[in-house]
Amino acid sequence: MRGMGRWIACLAVAAATGCGQGHVIFNVDALSFLRPSGDDNIPYDLPGGFTADSSVAQFFALPGGLGKSTINTVSITAAAALVNATGGGNMVFDVFFSKKQAGLFTGTPYVSAASGPVSGVDSVPLLPPTTVSPGDTVFNSDSVWVGIRAHLTSNPPLLPHMTGRLRLTELSVHIVINDKLF
Amino acid sequence: MRTSVVGTGVAVLTLGWAAQVAGQGLVFDARRVGMGGLALGRSSSLVRYNVAYRAVPANSGRHGEPKVTIPIPLGLIQFFHDHPNITKDPAFNPDSTGFNPILVVNTLLNLPIYYEVKQAPTPTNDVIFGIGRDSLRANLGAAAQIVPEDQFGIGGSSRPLDPGIGIRGVRLSVMGWLHDEVGFQLGDNLLGFLRDSQPASANTAYTVNGDGILEGGLAPSIAYAGRIAGDSTMGFYVGAAAHYYLGIAYARTSGVGGFRTGNPILGAPVRPTITAVTDYSKAGNALGHGVGGDVGVAWVSGPIELGVGVNDIGATLTWSDTRRDTLLYDTTSNALRTTPGPNHFTTKTKLPVSYIANVAYSLGLTTLGADVLNAGRGTTIHVGGEQRVGLFSLRGGVARDQRKRIEFGWGGGLRFAAIGFDVGFWTHTNSISNERGITMATSLSIY
Repeated sequence: MRGMGRWIACLAVAAATGCGQGHVIFNVDALSFLRPSGDDNIPYDLPGGFTADSSVAQFFALPGGLGKSTINTVSITAAAALVNATGGGNMVFDVFFSKKQAGLFTGTPYVSAASGPVSGVDSVPLLPPTTVSPGDTVFNSDSVWVGIRAHLTSNPPLLPHMTGRLRLTELSVHIVINDKLF
Repeated sequence: MRTSVVGTGVAVLTLGWAAQVAGQGLVFDARRVGMGGLALGRSSSLVRYNVAYRAVPANSGRHGEPKVTIPIPLGLIQFFHDHPNITKDPAFNPDSTGFNPILVVNTLLNLPIYYEVKQAPTPTNDVIFGIGRDSLRANLGAAAQIVPEDQFGIGGSSRPLDPGIGIRGVRLSVMGWLHDEVGFQLGDNLLGFLRDSQPASANTAYTVNGDGILEGGLAPSIAYAGRIAGDSTMGFYVGAAAHYYLGIAYARTSGVGGFRTGNPILGAPVRPTITAVTDYSKAGNALGHGVGGDVGVAWVSGPIELGVGVNDIGATLTWSDTRRDTLLYDTTSNALRTTPGPNHFTTKTKLPVSYIANVAYSLGLTTLGADVLNAGRGTTIHVGGEQRVGLFSLRGGVARDQRKRIEFGWGGGLRFAAIGFDVGFWTHTNSISNERGITMATSLSIY
């Protein structure tokens, strides 16, 4: 993952040969970086009547120049599916970005979608709206942490447990830079 | 990282597009600019490349040739008006967010000596990168057209100084000479990735091939130029020079540099791939030795003037104290390593043969001319003319530069007795653009 920053820096050289006053746009398929480690699936097993979070975090290296660039816009598109096996309750699917790992899951998530009530074997698509963050400073950095959180609330009684998994089906980041990268 | 990205980008751009500067040449005479770069009369280009022209007498009446031309650098006024404090100008400061490498490169390639009437537009489209763990694709849009498909570079041979003494056509001198060439060629994979927006592949090298040579020294020379037939109005002139080249130092390198993708493409660290072999002989080592010569002829018959000159014929230097180093990027230690190779062995270098052929026709107040010049890296062609009407002169010309692009020149002049003021315009592709810019040159001439 850290190698990506160096790669994109190389691409920046290529872009330097090409861009005048136009924008440099990165379309990053973040999900593809999460999938090999299994971080695109968040399993859960929660006794009835409880509330808990299950999450994964991933580090992304960004081009060095981004730290001094002016971000025009950042738009984030995410999608997930709640695949419930037993028990019942509801889930909120959140996506966070932060410059540091500490405090990654605090604050307002960039993307959020609620499953609504689920019970027994069920599958619910989670399709939060695309979030557009003009001039967001979190991407004015050499690196960024991405956090995926499943916030679960299970229905009583204690048994059966609410079990299943949250399967991330899309996570892409569209970054537009105001030609300050080079 | 930012600085290195910028620096590398600028270096690539500079080298990639600098050939264009040589393509039209750095001309300080608005008269020449107005004729598309055509060299007439005893201009430095003709004397430099045709040794016979040393003997051809100047004829200011025929070509309106000035004794001295003084450029009026309006471009500097324009430049310093736009950038009053260049040391603090963000556009020229790589550490600034306002740094603009396109402006820097265009300034270097198109020195702001003359007024830029029309800036060559640079591509302003968006550049898009699609990035995934196992996918990578760049879409440079219209800007992809400026990614060079062919070998690009700069270079040629020059003679920065040639002091000497002459008696009755024979001239003894010590000539300073310099030969420099740098060439690059994008590999097929990198070219397809950048220019054709092909997706990157795993375990694939994306490289640039580069080669260069720099050598210089002195050459004691003996030359002869004289008229062997006819008189001052109709004569045949010949010239020849023999040079004994003494090479002070040289370096010649050839290498490949770039990156190799991992598998998956972005799931593994980038592995630079750099190899280069350099032969060199430092100043202080044994001198390089070689012999070469120039020949030229010129024929002047009334209104017609023809000339052909060839330089550095057979100029091959032998360097007896050469050393070879190999540069390699060690992927284990992630560091560049230089491995000394053989030492004190003999290598040879060859100066490029340069030539010029020119024709001029002057009748009354009209002068027409053409020349073909190859200074060692590509041929340029200039065709132009001048029509004098009383105090005024009108000029026009067409040129084909080293990029084989057609450029146009036009202009005029005003002459009062021994003082003339000239203005010339020419189109150029000396910028990072596939479109032409227009430069206005101004100069004073003393006749």
